[in-house]
Amino acid sequence: MTTETVSSNPTPAEARRGLGRVTLEVRQRMPAWKHGLILALSLSCGLAIGVAVLWASGVAPKGIYEEFVLYTFFNAKGLANVLVECTPLILVGLSAAMAFRVQFWNIGLEGQLILGGMGAAFFALNDIGPPETRLALMLIGGLAGGALWTVIPLLLKLKLNVNEIISTLLLNYVAFQLLQDRLYGAWQDPDRFPHSPQLESVERLPRIGFGDVDSGIWVALAAGIVVWWLIQRARIGLFMTFVGSNARMSKAIGLPVTAVVAGSVLLSGALSGLAGFVVVAGQEYRLTTTFSGGYLFSGIVIAFLARNNPLAAVVVAFLLGGLYVGGQSIQIFYNLPAGVIDLLQAIIVMSVTASELFVRYRIIWRRA
Amino acid sequence: MGIALSLRDITKTFDGRPALDRVSLDIEWGMVHALLGENGAGKSTLMNIVAGLYAQDEGAVFLEDTELTDNDPSQAKARGIGMVHQHFKLVTPFTVAENILLANPQGAYGAGLRKTRELIAEQSDKLGFGLDPDARIDTLSVAEQQRAEIIKVLLGGARIIILDEPTAVLTDEEARALLSTMRVVAEHGAAVVLVTHKLHEVPAYTDTVTVMRGGKKIATTTSKDATPADLTKMMVGSAIADVQHRPPTEHGIVLEVQDITLNRIDGASALNGLGMTVRGGEIYGVAGVGGNGQTELAAALVGLDRVDGGHILMDGENVTEADVRALRQRGIAFVPAERMVYGLAEDMSVADNYVIAGVDRGEFGNAVWTRRGRIAAATQDAISEFEIAGAAPATRAGLLSGGNAQKLVLARELRGDARLLIVHSPTRGLDVRACAAVHRVLIEARDRGAGVVLISEDLDEILKISDRIGVINRGRIVGEFTAPADRHEVGALMVGHA
Repeated sequence: MTTETVSSNPTPAEARRGLGRVTLEVRQRMPAWKHGLILALSLSCGLAIGVAVLWASGVAPKGIYEEFVLYTFFNAKGLANVLVECTPLILVGLSAAMAFRVQFWNIGLEGQLILGGMGAAFFALNDIGPPETRLALMLIGGLAGGALWTVIPLLLKLKLNVNEIISTLLLNYVAFQLLQDRLYGAWQDPDRFPHSPQLESVERLPRIGFGDVDSGIWVALAAGIVVWWLIQRARIGLFMTFVGSNARMSKAIGLPVTAVVAGSVLLSGALSGLAGFVVVAGQEYRLTTTFSGGYLFSGIVIAFLARNNPLAAVVVAFLLGGLYVGGQSIQIFYNLPAGVIDLLQAIIVMSVTASELFVRYRIIWRRA
Repeated sequence: MGIALSLRDITKTFDGRPALDRVSLDIEWGMVHALLGENGAGKSTLMNIVAGLYAQDEGAVFLEDTELTDNDPSQAKARGIGMVHQHFKLVTPFTVAENILLANPQGAYGAGLRKTRELIAEQSDKLGFGLDPDARIDTLSVAEQQRAEIIKVLLGGARIIILDEPTAVLTDEEARALLSTMRVVAEHGAAVVLVTHKLHEVPAYTDTVTVMRGGKKIATTTSKDATPADLTKMMVGSAIADVQHRPPTEHGIVLEVQDITLNRIDGASALNGLGMTVRGGEIYGVAGVGGNGQTELAAALVGLDRVDGGHILMDGENVTEADVRALRQRGIAFVPAERMVYGLAEDMSVADNYVIAGVDRGEFGNAVWTRRGRIAAATQDAISEFEIAGAAPATRAGLLSGGNAQKLVLARELRGDARLLIVHSPTRGLDVRACAAVHRVLIEARDRGAGVVLISEDLDEILKISDRIGVINRGRIVGEFTAPADRHEVGALMVGHA
């Protein structure tokens, strides 16, 4: 056997040198601290752009700091407002995370929230049961209403493989029409405005003694803990993660895939319904035509930024609540349009999304 | 004939891990050059540098006498370097001609497509490929898709043709045809690089062989002078002991398959009155050319697919209607052919993938509380026992190499003391050492008394470890052999139109 090692000298070629170029290489792995650093940097980048936009609209950095940090998080009244704001946000964020975890794209959070509010209102407006159990029944009504609104898309998905993005989205409009039907009909307030009569005091979530904050915040935090336990510690949570990660493999290994998906989606609907309950019983004290507004996008944004992690969803919902509260005062005191908050939210989401590039790829810039 | 390509001291690291360490190599015109090595030896990385997909950290690539600076995929293509990757770069709903036109634009679409079709037909004739330019990619077999890739590269003007593990997805017959074709291409003056880990392809179909190991070049030698033993030693670093055969102990019948039929969704018959009997303590090899019902047989046996007729009995009980979950509770384990699709969830950790079936059985805490500590400890044990290299419990499963991923699947499937193991193409794409490890595990399971059904398109593998062999042809077992079986008799039944 002849073995030769190649070691002849190459003829020096005429090297053409360019100006250098950028190449992308797929990363093999990334340590957690680096991942965290990239996220933090992209978040700061988004915030910096947000500050720049506000500055350009006439809000000085000092004003931005005061409105979004000082008077929002480090001021009792502001903090109370944030807690009120984030109560339903936590619940819709958890709802979205729950469904997204099994790759069920529930875009029907708002419809489920409406049905939850209506479920709660049903028990309140019809004075069902003794006053002591009224709130408990309303809570159950909220859970059931939200869960019920996922049944149709769920069956369509599991039996006929109908795309749930379409079915859940369209059912939002159906839910809204149902709400209108009630508010212009049987549940209309005697004052003839399109809202229900006010709830009685036993039907309202009590205040916790900190600003306007009601006990809905305890409901939301309890939901956070329950969802954390379900996903991170209960057996079903591991199943959910597997089904979401690779449904075919889950089936081949004998996991009850259909049951896991159905359970997660029903629970997702129930959490949105619970959000409807806390808005109606803790904040609005009646059904209105507008009480569901905006929670669909907020829920999706929270679940996305939290990477479907329940504890992170609670934190993100809290911070987003701060953004909304700060944004409201900016609108009032600096006379800015309402779209500004949406703009800030979008900039942050886009920055975090863009950071994925740096997580997946290493970027090499070569100088010639 | 002269040097086509010359690599000098190529070094490349990924995230601090060295992949190539000062590799130098000459590729000659008119030759088929085998680049031999285990998975992870750096063969593909080296060729990806030549094709411009990666940039080397140090070292230089010379095409004849010109150094390739600023090499990138389009530059490499323009200079006549073409690579057929392991994962084909074809747009599935498009036809062969459309795909090739996309890669090699010919001016106006209509005229270009006509011209491309002619060129394909001509090239396909010359190579004996029999490829229809108007066939949609998703209607083609893997072998035909590969031919489309090769024609794409040739029509792109490639004179240096790199094939990355081309035979990993082919049957014996298809592989022989492909390798002979590539010899012809080389004889016409091109330089062909064959990246492979299959030893037996080297002497018959290549002129020169370079062995790589651990990112280093070990040696370059003339193919006809290289003995398999020498090559193995260079690839692996030390010789691997042959698998020891032991006569199987006598156990009861675990699996009885009676006359099952199964139709595909399109109505075509996949299983057509298939029957077989498997005892505990034996490896029953199902040999056959791919596409004769192997996939459907595996799916039917593990409960993923319901048969249309016939019966399946496990331990004498009728389980024809049982689903995956029920069968697993009875002690069936499954090592699927597509391990990253049906075997592992690649975004989940090694630990989660290892314990998921056990968690389902209630081994790691109850329904309301999972014992994370126990999971980590058990996974660590499995990693040492099955020698899963480069894995910690928290490692993402998708980062494991093919061999280690397969060891992880086996570790999980054997954890529950399975009585019946359904194994489909367990060593596809694995290197010599990983193959040996997988076979050892299967034999250990057999010796423990489990029945093993080994469905494989690799006849060497079947002959090596099976105790009995059934030949599957057109959806039925057309003949059975007891080991040691005659290779030619088995092969004749595999291709016969019985």
